[in-house]
Amino acid sequence: MKNRLKVLRAERDWTQADLAERLEVSRQTIVAIEKGKYDPSLPLAFKAARLFEMPIESIFQDEPSAI
Amino acid sequence: MQTLESYCDKEKRNTKSIAVWTGLWLISTAALAFGPKFLWDYHTVISMVLVCVNLFFGYKMVVANKQLLEDLDELQQKIMFLGMAFALGCTVVVATVLGLLEAIRLVDSVINPSSILFVTGISYLVGIAMAKRKYA
Repeated sequence: MKNRLKVLRAERDWTQADLAERLEVSRQTIVAIEKGKYDPSLPLAFKAARLFEMPIESIFQDEPSAI
Repeated sequence: MQTLESYCDKEKRNTKSIAVWTGLWLISTAALAFGPKFLWDYHTVISMVLVCVNLFFGYKMVVANKQLLEDLDELQQKIMFLGMAFALGCTVVVATVLGLLEAIRLVDSVINPSSILFVTGISYLVGIAMAKRKYA
């Protein structure tokens, strides 16, 4: 799954620690999500959508795997 | 008004709690192991009281550990889960082999079951390190 967390965070001049605090997760979780190594749960994705005041699909996009 | 506790504050509080209860449990375990011989000459009442104290500290340590896990975020919980899965697997495999060593006459004496605790502890740390590396 691709996401735009890094871009959206940079637009607001937030550090990874700032975003982690706002989403109530650890900084390591933000790092892993931004690098695409970890896909957040639906509640966390919705929380990010509420924080950035954007639809969830504008932040997270599915990457269909090749069949 | 209720103030919201940040993730970092929760982590600090839980870490402090688990450190305190683990420390107390370790001290009471050491007292239980060496006290009867060196301090109170196997006095039954004192030993029984210390067993109760040790169990109480152990219970508080388990509760503190449970609270720590519950307050972790989803990725940290997953990392702990992977670490525990690795530790459980290693413990089962090593304990099975160690249990057979004497039966198949590869060693002369029965291996102390408490040595399994070392396998569990070390494999848990290795499992956590591997999981953290995976998501770093």
